Amino acid sequence: MNRPSVPFRVFRALTLLLICLMCVIPFYVLLVLSLNAPSRVFYEGNIFVPTFAFTNYVDAWGKSRIGTAMINSAVITFGTLGLTILLGGMAGYSIARRNTRLNRGIFGLLIACMMIPGIINTVPLYTLMRQMNAVNTLWGMVLVCATLCLPSAVFIYTTFVRSLPRELDEAAVVDGCTGFKAFWRIIFPVLKPATASFVILNGFGVWNNYAQAVFFLQSREKQNIPQALSVFFQQFGGGKWHLMSATAVIAIVPVIVIFLAFQRQFIEGLTEGAVKG
Amino acid sequence: MQGRKPLSIQRQRGMREIDWTQYMALPALLLFATFFVYPLIRGIGMSLTDWDGMGEATFVGFANFTRFFQDARAMGDIRTTLIFAAGSAILLNLVGLLYALLMEKPFHGRSLTRVIIYLPAIISPLIMGYIWYFLLQPGRGYLYHALEQLGAPFTLGNWMKDYPTTMLVLILVNVWQYAGMTMIIYLAGLQNISADLREAAMIDGAGTWQRFTGVTIPLLMPAIRINVVTNIIGSLSVFDVIMSLTEGGPGYATESLSIYIMRMCYGSRTGYSTAVAMILFAIILLPVLISMRLTREKA
Repeated sequence: MNRPSVPFRVFRALTLLLICLMCVIPFYVLLVLSLNAPSRVFYEGNIFVPTFAFTNYVDAWGKSRIGTAMINSAVITFGTLGLTILLGGMAGYSIARRNTRLNRGIFGLLIACMMIPGIINTVPLYTLMRQMNAVNTLWGMVLVCATLCLPSAVFIYTTFVRSLPRELDEAAVVDGCTGFKAFWRIIFPVLKPATASFVILNGFGVWNNYAQAVFFLQSREKQNIPQALSVFFQQFGGGKWHLMSATAVIAIVPVIVIFLAFQRQFIEGLTEGAVKG
Repeated sequence: MQGRKPLSIQRQRGMREIDWTQYMALPALLLFATFFVYPLIRGIGMSLTDWDGMGEATFVGFANFTRFFQDARAMGDIRTTLIFAAGSAILLNLVGLLYALLMEKPFHGRSLTRVIIYLPAIISPLIMGYIWYFLLQPGRGYLYHALEQLGAPFTLGNWMKDYPTTMLVLILVNVWQYAGMTMIIYLAGLQNISADLREAAMIDGAGTWQRFTGVTIPLLMPAIRINVVTNIIGSLSVFDVIMSLTEGGPGYATESLSIYIMRMCYGSRTGYSTAVAMILFAIILLPVLISMRLTREKA
């Protein structure tokens, strides 16, 4: 590999440093704002250092319902991913192994609908959900989110199973398993890499969902994180930045921690997904 | 369940029974048909009525559609949505590709840089919009005070007063957030292009620019296609970042079609809002199909 020239390397280092600063500074500002005393209105003193008012966090936790919202978001995210992994894994296996007209039709339908964003059918879906008494329920939101993730899951699993050797299925038959049992015991555990890339591609999206939550999670007890934050924000008419920022920090810390903990698998999964797609 | 039987018997039994594996996609189909296909079809019917979400619906033909195109607010929303999407899709791809080219060759701290640049993309765009609101709110935002303390090397002015600058800020915040995502896909695409091909082009006497347009870009088509298509779909249905940064304001100036659909639905204009959704569907489908055709790989 030929090394790039020195001027290019200097230029690259400086540019990337600038880009990284640009990416990090807003988060630093959020942290500063969340630690500023409410009385520090127009930032007397050095604006770059907060006044370390940690009570903001206690206040924010008490007033914002962010705790309930985090539990709701967790239930919705795990429920959605679990359901989609199960249905998507089964469908992907069946589509990859049984080339029937039905399976080709299902695959074609799902892939075609990948290009339709959720907002297109949210209003009629809202009517349906109301008839089912599913509005303002976590299970209703799980069904909505799972439906939106399903095409991506089926696509990932189908591509993955197609790359597996057929001997695997026969091993299941020899083992005395048939049908669903064979799938669950023999095939499903092998699908782990596909499951990982599916979770990477969709997990944060479900956790952060707002466009659907606005419709389906309006009650205070059932709102997820973005919905709780927007309600909180509107309640103060855009004021009380110290409380807003503290709530926002509480909301994004779990996401950042999970991302940093799995960043290697994450970037690799994205890269692989991009190459295959 | 009976005990274990000799293998041959099991095989025979398996053959006489129906092979259930071929029907294992049906649960997925059931979910998708109920919560996606059925509402979509029902939406087409609803878009032809004056339904308010509660009472009786009357068939009104294409009245909702003609009303949409006569409504000044709706036309403004189309303009905002298209400007936002065009600006985002173009800038995201240019910036993402530029980042990827900078990051292509190995160097110290490369994976850390990649993680930092990707970081904003995992955060909820709604929260990201709030953070930028704290930074940029005209007169009050953190950046205004920071610039003052730094001796005001330049001023930001009231960007929210004018439509073009407000749109620019919205687009830039969106590009800031998702440039890392576009970059990762371009990096994957660049790694897939064999070094041999580019070296061969170099030996043939091709300059840097010629190698870029003649070898890199054509071979990067799959990555360009993924990025362009996902950026177009995502930015034409933009919702979160506008809700938190401007709430569609001032007035309805920066309202997107997605926000308009939500507000019409809340305003008990259910039939009308499904008609708007159908129009947005057409607006998304057209550029997606065109860009898919343009980036098709030539065999």
